[in-house]
Amino acid sequence: MSAPFAAKRLGKELQKISNSLPPGIELVSADNFEEWLVDIRVLDDNPLYRNEIYRLRFRFSSTYPIEPPEVVFVKLPDRPIPIHPHIYSNGIICLDLLGHQGWSPVQNVESVCMSLQSMLTGNTKNERPPGDEEFVRGNRLRPRDIEFYYHDNDV
Amino acid sequence: MAKSIQLKEEGNRRFQAGDYLQAEALYSQAIIADPTNPALYTNRAMARLKLSQWDNAIADCSECLRLSPNSMKAHYILSQAHLALRAHDDAVHHALRAHALCIGDEANANNGSAGKPSHQNSLATITAHVLRCKKERWDHLEKRRARETSELEAEVLELLARERERALREADESGLGEAGRQEVEDEWRAKADRLRDVFEKARPREDRKRRVPDWAIDDISFCVMVDPVVTKTGKSYERASIVEHLRRHPHDPLTREPLYISELRPNLDLKQACDEFLEENGWAADW
Repeated sequence: MSAPFAAKRLGKELQKISNSLPPGIELVSADNFEEWLVDIRVLDDNPLYRNEIYRLRFRFSSTYPIEPPEVVFVKLPDRPIPIHPHIYSNGIICLDLLGHQGWSPVQNVESVCMSLQSMLTGNTKNERPPGDEEFVRGNRLRPRDIEFYYHDNDV
Repeated sequence: MAKSIQLKEEGNRRFQAGDYLQAEALYSQAIIADPTNPALYTNRAMARLKLSQWDNAIADCSECLRLSPNSMKAHYILSQAHLALRAHDDAVHHALRAHALCIGDEANANNGSAGKPSHQNSLATITAHVLRCKKERWDHLEKRRARETSELEAEVLELLARERERALREADESGLGEAGRQEVEDEWRAKADRLRDVFEKARPREDRKRRVPDWAIDDISFCVMVDPVVTKTGKSYERASIVEHLRRHPHDPLTREPLYISELRPNLDLKQACDEFLEENGWAADW
């Protein structure tokens, strides 16, 4: 059988983050232990992201937190996909922390949000990943099944 | 022998289908055909658990343990049956035995000898079950404490009332009249009020802030640790959680350096601290 802790652990994370979340992170919905929506914004004055709020969708499998959650940006009329050389225009994020190799079970929803915040804060390039158009058109895989090549980890 | 195995497999199929009554009957026939196979007893005990036949399940486990003293499954089922019967001490005892046997299998498997892989996957389940047993035992004791306290309160109030009656009789006998009676009544009413007050203050307040210290919590499952193990970096995790992680990704969750299950060491002092914390704060078992 698989590890029974996903629901329990998510219940506790929820309890914790319902009480307090770091600035710029807001829980939108967490009606079950399969999918949560979180809004994040960048705290500094980076002109690429100023005055914007971005919507993240977390999807958890029954093996969370042993396996990473699936995390993507979702596009809504008032929630764009942030421009970044590691974020495809369909919302898929290329971040080693979210891959099977880079993930660690001591990470959590809050720490992932904070990592994404700082990934945006530190970025100065107003561009999409190379091959974005092609990838967005052709990709039928779920994020976790994509083999990203983490080429420039300094961005 | 072959007939017994056949009956057992048919029983397993009925069990999987949720027909526990039929499964139990088939396991019974299997036992008649071969009374020496310990697995038949634990299988029947599982069916009996489902049928809420706690005493029969316990009898089966005892028979299994007589044939095979280190049956993890028998201890686990025993614990569940005792828990249902509210024999909390027995439930905790057998849960811990099952947990210890689970770890033993894990160690054997790592040394390359014959550990049963099916048991390894049970570690997380058994760990959760240990916590549940401790929680239910604490709830039970807590309820008993509350009941005993309110019984004592009622008894002492009763004694006070009797004393008051005696004092009133004395007042009447010495001819103090209505004023004297009133004085005695007031005095004893004040005493009774004060007594109720004292008991009220001694009752555990539900609104008291309940907080689990970070050192007691496993950073992977977010539960209070039952069996903490320490890694090379000095950080401790619940054994079931870290083993689940290392089996898939043999690296330290914090440093990403290579880390193998065989390198984990029990953290005995932290285990004792967690045990003591749970003893006094049983609610924390599922905070």
